[in-house]
Amino acid sequence: MPNTHPLRKSARGYLALVIILAFAFVLNACAAPPPAGSPASEPAAADATGAPAPAQPAASSTLRVAMEAPVQLDPAFASSDSEIAILNAVYDYLVDVDENNRLQPRLASSVVASEDGLSYTVELQPNATFHDGSPVTAADVIYTFNRLRDPEAGLPTADLYSNIVDIAAPEGSDPATGTTVVFTLQAPDPFFQYNLSDNHALIVKAGTEDPTADFNGSGPFKVVNYSPEDRMELVANDAYFIDGKPGVDNLEFIFFADQTAAVDALKGGQVDLNMRMATPLYLSLQGEPGIVTSSIPTNGFDLVRLRADREPGNDPRVIEAFKLATDRQAIFDTVTLGLGAVGNDSPIGPLYADYYSTDAVAPARDVAKARELLAAAGYADGLSLDLYVPESGDRVALAEVLQQQWQEAGINVDIKSVPESVYYGSDNPDQNWLGATLGITGWGSRPYPQFYLDVMLVCDAKWNESHFCDEEFDQLATMAGTTLDEQERMEAYKDIQHILIERGPIIVPYFFAQLGAISDRFENFNMKAFAGRTDLAAITPAQ
Amino acid sequence: MAGNTTGGGSQPASLATHERRALPAVFTRWWHALRELYARPSSALGTTLVLVFLAMALFGPLIAPYSATEQISGAARQAPSVQHLFGTDHLGRDVFSRVVLGARDILALAGLGTLFAVVIGTLIGLFSAYRGGLTDEVTFRFFDSLLALPALLLALLVLGVVGPSRNSVLVVLVIVYVPIVARVVRSVVLSTKQKGYVEAARLQGESTASIVRRDIFPSVTPALTVEAGLRFSYAIFLVASLGFLGVGVQPPNPDWGLMVSQARPYVSLTPWALYFPAAAIALLVIGVNLAADGLKRVMLPGREV
Repeated sequence: MPNTHPLRKSARGYLALVIILAFAFVLNACAAPPPAGSPASEPAAADATGAPAPAQPAASSTLRVAMEAPVQLDPAFASSDSEIAILNAVYDYLVDVDENNRLQPRLASSVVASEDGLSYTVELQPNATFHDGSPVTAADVIYTFNRLRDPEAGLPTADLYSNIVDIAAPEGSDPATGTTVVFTLQAPDPFFQYNLSDNHALIVKAGTEDPTADFNGSGPFKVVNYSPEDRMELVANDAYFIDGKPGVDNLEFIFFADQTAAVDALKGGQVDLNMRMATPLYLSLQGEPGIVTSSIPTNGFDLVRLRADREPGNDPRVIEAFKLATDRQAIFDTVTLGLGAVGNDSPIGPLYADYYSTDAVAPARDVAKARELLAAAGYADGLSLDLYVPESGDRVALAEVLQQQWQEAGINVDIKSVPESVYYGSDNPDQNWLGATLGITGWGSRPYPQFYLDVMLVCDAKWNESHFCDEEFDQLATMAGTTLDEQERMEAYKDIQHILIERGPIIVPYFFAQLGAISDRFENFNMKAFAGRTDLAAITPAQ
Repeated sequence: MAGNTTGGGSQPASLATHERRALPAVFTRWWHALRELYARPSSALGTTLVLVFLAMALFGPLIAPYSATEQISGAARQAPSVQHLFGTDHLGRDVFSRVVLGARDILALAGLGTLFAVVIGTLIGLFSAYRGGLTDEVTFRFFDSLLALPALLLALLVLGVVGPSRNSVLVVLVIVYVPIVARVVRSVVLSTKQKGYVEAARLQGESTASIVRRDIFPSVTPALTVEAGLRFSYAIFLVASLGFLGVGVQPPNPDWGLMVSQARPYVSLTPWALYFPAAAIALLVIGVNLAADGLKRVMLPGREV
C-alpha cells in the first residue's frame, strides 16, 4: 500500500470545500434583490449607508445617482454612460440634443450657418464662466475643438471633425476676450450641429493639459470630492448661466460595479436615480413604492446580418427567406419583454420621427414562402450555418429565438456564443463581426441616422459587416448625407428604408429601450437615449 | 492484494489460472464495495443521489415532458405548476425537462472526460514512474508546471485556443486532469517498485509491460478508484463552471451551468429557472463526493480520517 498519497488530505475538508463552492455558485448566481415589499423598500426611511445625505427631502436636495465607476474622465477620451454623465454635469456642450433628438442651445446662444453651408458662426453665452471664475471665450472653444480634431492626438473624434478646415474668431475680434467663433468646413454637412454636440465635445479652458486634474468646467456642478471607485461629490454652480439650473444643491455619483446592487440601493433609498439596469431588474421595480420608473425607446438596436458577398447570402432569395422566416413581434415580446420598439430591418427607427417611414413595414412571417425561396435557391434540404453572437445584452436570447423560428423554415443555425472581446477582437475572419457569415451585432443609439448608413451600409463603409453593396442605396445615402434640403433628405431616408426591407441583408428585430428609475422625491427627470447625456441639472426636488 | 499475484508469474499455466480467478474476484470486490457503501448513511445518500442522476441521464427522454429546446409559445416566465413542474424560463422552455435532459450532457461529458484522463494519466504514471530516468523527470516537471495553474484558468486558456464546443470541453478535462491522475499513480508506483516481489519478477526476466500490468497496477487500483471518483466530481463542477462562463457547451443546449448563467439576469422574474439547475449541480457534486468518500473508506481502509 502506498503511504505518500495526495488523498491523505482530509476527505471531510474536501467535501466541505465542494459544498461551500457549490453553494457559493448558487449564491453568487443569486445575488438577487430582496423580494419586493421587504423592509428595505421604504426609500425615505432607510439611509443605511451612513452616507452624509440627510433624510429630510426638503432640506437636502442632494441628488444621488448610481453609476458605474468611471475610468476615463478626460472629455476627449471619455465614452461610457457614467463618464459622460459626470462630465456633462461639470462641463458644457456648445449645443445639446434633447430627448426628442432636437437641438437645444447650451453654451452657444446661437449657431448660424452660412447659405452655402460651409461656415457656422457660434455665439457664446455672454455671462458663462469657468468654475475658477474666468469667462468662457472664443479661445477656449478654439482650443477644445483643435484638440479634438488633431489627427496626431489619436482621438476618436479626429475622423468626425476632419471636415473642419478652420476654427477662428471673426476678423478684428480677439479670441481671448471675444465670444464669437467661426467654423469653416470643407464640404457642407447638414448634421454639423449634431457633430458639435458629440459626446466628447465638452468645452475645456484653453491651455488645459490634464482636464482630470481640477475639473475646471463651466457646467452646472462643481466637483468638491472625487474618490475613485467610490463616489464623486459635486455642489451646484451658483454662477451657472442658465436660469433655474441646477435644480438641486448637491449632486453625488455613487459607483456600483453591479446593476443588481445599484437597483437594490435605489429600493433601499441609498440612491435616488439609476439609469443603468437590465430589463428584468427594471420590471422588478414596477409598483415599488416611492419609485418612478421610466422607459424610452432609443435608436440603438441589435443587427442580425448575413454576408451578402458570399454564399448563401449572395442569393437575394436567401436574404428574403431569412426575413420571411423571422417573427419580429414575437422576438420583441420575448427577448426585450415588450420594451423599446419593434424594428423593420432598417436602422432608421420610429424615434427619428420625420425620417421614419410608417409605411415601410417588413413583410409578415411566411414560413412556407421562405421554404420555397430556399428551395429555389438550391437549399431544398435546408441550410446550415454558424450564428456568431457576442454573449452580452440580450443577444444570446435573440439567437436562441431566431434559431427556433428559422428552423421551421429549414434554416438550421449552430449558435456560437463568444465573449465580446472575441467577437470584436478575434483575428479569425470567420469568427469576428466583420468576417463571420452570419452574426448579431449591437449598435448604439445615435441622434441622426446618417451615421449608420455611412459606416455600416454603403459599399466602402468602414464597418460594412454585411458586405452590402447596392448602387441605388449608395446614391440615396450620399444624397441624404449632403443635401441641405430637409425635404429631399426625408424622401431619401424613406426610400432607403424600402430598399433595406426589400433587399438589405440585415434584420433589425427591435430597438432597445433605455430604462431608468428615480425616487419620487424628485421631478423633471427626462431620460435621454444615451443615459449619460440626461440633463441632471434640470431635476428638481418634488414639490 | 498485490502480493498474491507474484510467484511463478512467468509460467503460462499459472497466468491463465490467475486470469480465470481474477474476473469473478473483481465482481466480488465491487459487490462488496457497494454493500459497504450502503453500510454508512452518508455514502448511502451519495450513492443514491448518483444513481438517481444516472437514471435521469439514461431515461431522460422518457421522463421529460417537453424537449429541452422547445420554446413553448405563450408560456414564457411561468412559475412552477403541475404543467411545468420547475416553471419555464425567459424564453418559455420547460425548466424541469431541461434539468432532466441536461443530466445526460453533464454526466457524459464529466464521465468521459474523467475516463480518458484516468486511462491516459494511469498509463503515463505507470510507465514513466517505473522506467524512471530523464523522461520521467521531464514529463513530471512539465506536469508540475501545468498543476501550478488553477484548473479553471488552465481550462479557459485551452478553450481560448481551441474554441468553445462540447468536444473542446472534453479535451480540456483531459488536459487538466491527466497530470493529477498521473501524479497520484506515480507516487504509488515509486513506492511499489522497490518491493521485493517486483524485484523478484524483474530478476525472473519478466517484461516491463508484464511487471507493470500484473505486479504494479493492482496496487494502484484502490487509490485510482478513489481518485477517479474525486476527479469525476471536480469534472462535473468544471463543466458546470465553463458552461456558466459561457465558454463550454453552447446554447441552446440544456447545460446546467449555462442555464444558471442564462437565468441569472432574470432572477427577479424567474428565480425557479436559476434555482433548479443550480440545485441539480450542487446535489450531483455532493452526491458524487459522498460516494467517493465512501469508496475511499472501502478501498483504502487505512486512511480513514
